[in-house]
Amino acid sequence: MARVFYDEMYDANGHCRPHYQEFARWLADTPPELLAQRRREADLLFHRAGITFTLYGDEQGTERLIPFDTIPRSIPASEWRIVERGCIQRVKALNMFLADLYHDQRILKAGIIPPEQVLANEQYQLAMQGLDLHRDIYSHISGVDLVRDGDGTYYVLEDNLRTPSGVSYMLEDRKMMMRLFPELFAVQRIAPIDHYPNLLLDTLRSSSPLDNPSVVVLTPGRFNSAYFEHAFLAREMGVELVEGADLFVRDDRVYMRTTAGPRQVDVIYRRLDDAFLDPLAFNPDSMLGVPGLLAAYRSGNVVLANAIGTGVADDKSVYPFVTDMVRFYLDEEPILKNVPTWQCRKPEELSHVLANLPELVVKETQGSGGYGMLVGPAASAAEIEAFRTRLKARPEAYIAQPTLCLSTCPTFVETGIAPRHIDLRPFVLSGRETRLVPGGLTRVALREGSLVVNSSQGGGTKDTWIVED
Amino acid sequence: MRLSIRHDTTYHYDDQVRASIQYLRLTPQESERQHVISWQLDLPRPARAQRDPYGNILHVLTLDEPHESIVIGARGQVDIDEHQDAEHDRQSALPFLRFTRLTQPDEALREFAASQCKERRDRSALTDLMQALNARITYQPGTTQVESTAAEAFAGGVGVCQDHAHAFLACVRSLGVPARYVSGYLYTESSTHLSSHAWAEAWLGDAWYSFDVTNCLTRPERHLKLAVGLDYLDACPVRGMRRGGGGEQMHARVLVSPLMQVQQQ
Repeated sequence: MARVFYDEMYDANGHCRPHYQEFARWLADTPPELLAQRRREADLLFHRAGITFTLYGDEQGTERLIPFDTIPRSIPASEWRIVERGCIQRVKALNMFLADLYHDQRILKAGIIPPEQVLANEQYQLAMQGLDLHRDIYSHISGVDLVRDGDGTYYVLEDNLRTPSGVSYMLEDRKMMMRLFPELFAVQRIAPIDHYPNLLLDTLRSSSPLDNPSVVVLTPGRFNSAYFEHAFLAREMGVELVEGADLFVRDDRVYMRTTAGPRQVDVIYRRLDDAFLDPLAFNPDSMLGVPGLLAAYRSGNVVLANAIGTGVADDKSVYPFVTDMVRFYLDEEPILKNVPTWQCRKPEELSHVLANLPELVVKETQGSGGYGMLVGPAASAAEIEAFRTRLKARPEAYIAQPTLCLSTCPTFVETGIAPRHIDLRPFVLSGRETRLVPGGLTRVALREGSLVVNSSQGGGTKDTWIVED
Repeated sequence: MRLSIRHDTTYHYDDQVRASIQYLRLTPQESERQHVISWQLDLPRPARAQRDPYGNILHVLTLDEPHESIVIGARGQVDIDEHQDAEHDRQSALPFLRFTRLTQPDEALREFAASQCKERRDRSALTDLMQALNARITYQPGTTQVESTAAEAFAGGVGVCQDHAHAFLACVRSLGVPARYVSGYLYTESSTHLSSHAWAEAWLGDAWYSFDVTNCLTRPERHLKLAVGLDYLDACPVRGMRRGGGGEQMHARVLVSPLMQVQQQ
């Protein structure tokens, strides 16, 4: 089957798109040996900075460098403004959905989402029922995963409203590009992103009703795959990085142990899943959380960012309803499209999926990180049959989507420069206002033909440019 | 029936505990079935009452002075309305359809539930299920642990009220009926069963109905409810953590006795 891919740099006739012309000129003028040398330099610098990623499912817990590609992913500013508005619109609707779901449940009463779909969902947290949050914000930090189909249309692949990661790579990739190729930033206007930590801190502060709240970053610890990012963001914001054991609860307030005695904590940017937050309320085996945290939270004495229970809104079984949420809460047409989705829990949709497995992408509703997913066109007959068995056994645990022709971007590979598939994760910050820094994290599937960009599956990253046009 | 409760829990530690925190669900609340005449907690330090995610009354006791023992006392009097056997609720029961680690049904539990109830999902079907589970899992203290799952107790064929409740929840939820764990007190003339008790409630369209697998009772006439949850972990009277202390011995003493009703003139 011939597939038409949208290439970010070259149009269908092989002509360089206008927003890539400065870069193309520079690339043609720069000797290949110099580029190769700079790439080696980048690897060395990343290693030295300790920007690594721990691979799950690897017994040795190997720390791996996420490959960095020096050819940027570039987006014209006029196009970005639409994407930006679309992300803001979507995240606003998702936050309104969460506030509604944990209060009046108007959207369920209106018959737009079947109640059992969300209320019986494991991610729906009774702990949030009726709890009022400052500014009604649940997902303070959201990562919206976008891909482009064959004609260049942007689609939202998923919303990440729990503890989305990757923003440190976005920031480090930019620093690296500016260090290796400062000349590129002199010849054109590329929107800066280095104010992200300031915006993040401002967002976290504004999540508390207090004037000058104290903020900490809560990490599961150094064995977590994103530990580097937790440490990075704490340092960039100038706040403490803590583990569960550094915090304690007394009389429904959260304190941090310091050499100068206990200090009250008002906002916790937690990079720990709901189930691990409080061993007295959730998973009792969790050594990572803070006993008593839930009671303190429900007493309104500490803010968690993101809130507990956001997972019900980014669950893949709820994803098909997000465009309806935009219409319902904002009375607007969605700017960004959803990928058409078959819900395998519905018998008629399941039979369609089973009949078309070789063409579809099948995902677990609870899964993330590209584990437990089938990419039909890239799978062997045996893999497809194995998935068919799993689907039949637990249809409600899966959704299926058409295989999108993810856009490509020229990328350095062993044989030179070749197109590789990419996605984009902008990070949306919700506080006093909803905003984002221009661009986001571009992930690239380095294996030829691969559509899976997750770093755990051999993906790399690129700097993302928003170029004034 | 008016019940008088006295419940003392004492923890003794081998070494000094540097700090501890307990979630206490030891306070009954008013409902269609029970009226609280008086209730008080005796705690080593004052703790403010709040609602937990399930609407239970929760006290969080934090102790950060070194201690070698903790004594938690609860006492009071509660009227139980024997004529009310259902409890209404404004919140949706759907969240109580989900499984937890302790209530995850395995194939055996699913098949057991299906074979007992077939297509029926009414009170009589669940009553049959309750009786069948009572026959299948023999009440025998000391055979299971607090961490034992429904599937383990079912496979072993022995357990206590907690296991009975978990097995019932696993079965009922596998049938698509919302169900929840109840912790509380039971008055029995014979004291073969502990007076601290656990049973289950299932949502049958309009209200929560009780199913006490251990005693094969569907009318909670002598049951005083303390807390509800998805399983034992959500509803148990005391759940705590501590730093230091080494080994621990826990003694719980519960006295549940009926009071003569004062004749209302």
